[in-house]
Amino acid sequence: MSEKNIYKPIKFHLDKVVEETPAIKTFFLSAEQDFNFKTGQFVEVTIDGVGEAPYTPSSSPYVKDRMELTVMKAGYVTDKMHQLKGGEILGIRGPFGKGYPVEKFYNREIIILGGGVGLAPLRCLIYSLLEEEDKFRKINICFGAKTPADFCYKNWFPELLRRERVHLLRSVDKADSNWNETVGVVTVLLDKLRVDWANLIAIVCGPPIMMKFGTLRLLELGCREENIYLSMEKNMSCGLGKCGHCAMGNYFVCKDGPVFTYDQIKNHPDIWI
Amino acid sequence: MKPYSIYIDKWSQGLAKLLQKYDIYAPIKHENYLDYELLTPGSVSAVVYNQPKPSTPLKAFFFPVKENVVRETSKRTKVVIGAPSCDLQALKLLDRIFLEGEYLDTYYQKAREETIVIGTDCLDIQEHCHCTTYGIEPYPTENCDISLAIWDQKVMLQPLTAKGEQFINELDAHDLFHGEIDFTDLLQKRESVRQRLKIHNQNLPDNEKTREGVIKAEDAIWKKYAATCVSCGACAAICPTCHCFLLIDRQGFEKIKNWDTCQYPAFEKVAAGEDPLKKLYNRLANRYFCKFVYKPDMFGEIACTGCGRCIEACIGKINKNEIITEICQHL
Ligand code: SF4
Ligand code: SF4
Ligand code: FES
Repeated sequence: MSEKNIYKPIKFHLDKVVEETPAIKTFFLSAEQDFNFKTGQFVEVTIDGVGEAPYTPSSSPYVKDRMELTVMKAGYVTDKMHQLKGGEILGIRGPFGKGYPVEKFYNREIIILGGGVGLAPLRCLIYSLLEEEDKFRKINICFGAKTPADFCYKNWFPELLRRERVHLLRSVDKADSNWNETVGVVTVLLDKLRVDWANLIAIVCGPPIMMKFGTLRLLELGCREENIYLSMEKNMSCGLGKCGHCAMGNYFVCKDGPVFTYDQIKNHPDIWI
Repeated sequence: MKPYSIYIDKWSQGLAKLLQKYDIYAPIKHENYLDYELLTPGSVSAVVYNQPKPSTPLKAFFFPVKENVVRETSKRTKVVIGAPSCDLQALKLLDRIFLEGEYLDTYYQKAREETIVIGTDCLDIQEHCHCTTYGIEPYPTENCDISLAIWDQKVMLQPLTAKGEQFINELDAHDLFHGEIDFTDLLQKRESVRQRLKIHNQNLPDNEKTREGVIKAEDAIWKKYAATCVSCGACAAICPTCHCFLLIDRQGFEKIKNWDTCQYPAFEKVAAGEDPLKKLYNRLANRYFCKFVYKPDMFGEIACTGCGRCIEACIGKINKNEIITEICQHL
């Protein structure tokens, strides 16, 4: 067969595994050939003979020979992922999906609202935005976690704080004695921002419940439906618009998403489940 | 392309010879069913022509129940004789899904390219046939290499592609006639089949009206009909347009592309536990939304070609056309 086989994974080496939180680990992969993807696109990761699952890389798309995946333990394949120690070979198919249309965000103020393992695709996005930081007015980052220990990428935050156009706010549902930032659900951070709601771009990623209340609050504050970008989590198998698993009304989330604006999907009944 | 005709016994002899070169599948009748079988020299004369319809949907030749889609496969060219029009129309949607867009399914493509499809007129109708309700003619119009019909002991062969014409010439029969053929008889038969289908299904709403009915249907209707559904997935397996599958992993980074369906529990369940199709009646409704709303919107093609197989296959006795009639009755 001369054409590329869309079902055949290419091999990546798992260099190391870092524990972010008790339930979340980051997997550092390297490839023999450069691997190109756009921010917000995802890859299908195969553990040989075990199964395959979709993840959005958490590393920068500007780095071509390595890739990081941050994975929460949530099911059969992710449990097996968490048992890996480094040194194994993983299969990768992709990149798939449309990702974030970064060019559309130029000259705008941006709000990035994330919770839990939703920080993974957002980290990839933030890396991309920071490559051309001066193209955006301001990048407001609102991150939430259950407790301070539940934040991924703890070493990354000091780096973000040094960035001129970044405004980082964090909240936890339950503080510990060292916490001196906000306590409460992540949406309360939105109330602390002084921004032009009608003209900004909002990007939301996190557990379904957080996406729902985050979006509703953004709308209340005056954000436009077409300016709210959501990344949808769906059951996926093929990742490329053939197998039907990720169907959501008139969309295949894998091919038409996984990033959608709220106005694209608001009429579908089950977007939050 | 000009048609060909050949006496049926010579046609059978020609096919028997071609078995050396091709794997030829054609409908053979058994007590309760008609289905494609791989022909042998002994079974060529038992082939049943122009009858609706093989139990197996045509898709199975291009999208097998289970297929290793990492390993290279080399198979002999297949010839499929006896594909009914409903199944040929279904290929429109499958081709769009598997061949179009950014990603080409090379396994499906190879099977499509390497199979010679011989479609046939349905010169009879079955209880649940309703192709004409959705604007489909009960005879082959496209998506096949040859259109075949039999009358007066003669096999009429209308090639539709160069591949089809080549196959006819490979029959290598002396009395193969090539030229103008008077089709008046066949056209009359076609018209009478079409009329029978129309009368048989006169109260069945067309696809546009069905679409409206599906969108407006109350949950109560889906719940009522879902009461006897056991989520066996037979309706989807036997449907010529259902394309859903699951990739199953095998050692050596191999993948098995295996038929799957939205009718099975957990088809859309995500790792964290959410499942938009958790409830049985949502799964049943999804089947109708997929066929009459989503697929027409996404691909501009209908996803039910009126073959009636899902009605025959359902062990819960759920009749698609009864549901459709009920959801459309007050429109
Ligand atoms: S939905 Fe039923 S009648 Fe329609 S094409 Fe599929 S199996 Fe045939
Ligand atoms: S009805 Fe279900 S199984 Fe068939 S194509 Fe649609 S989603 Fe897939
Ligand atoms: S994951 Fe297969 S169609 Fe989207």
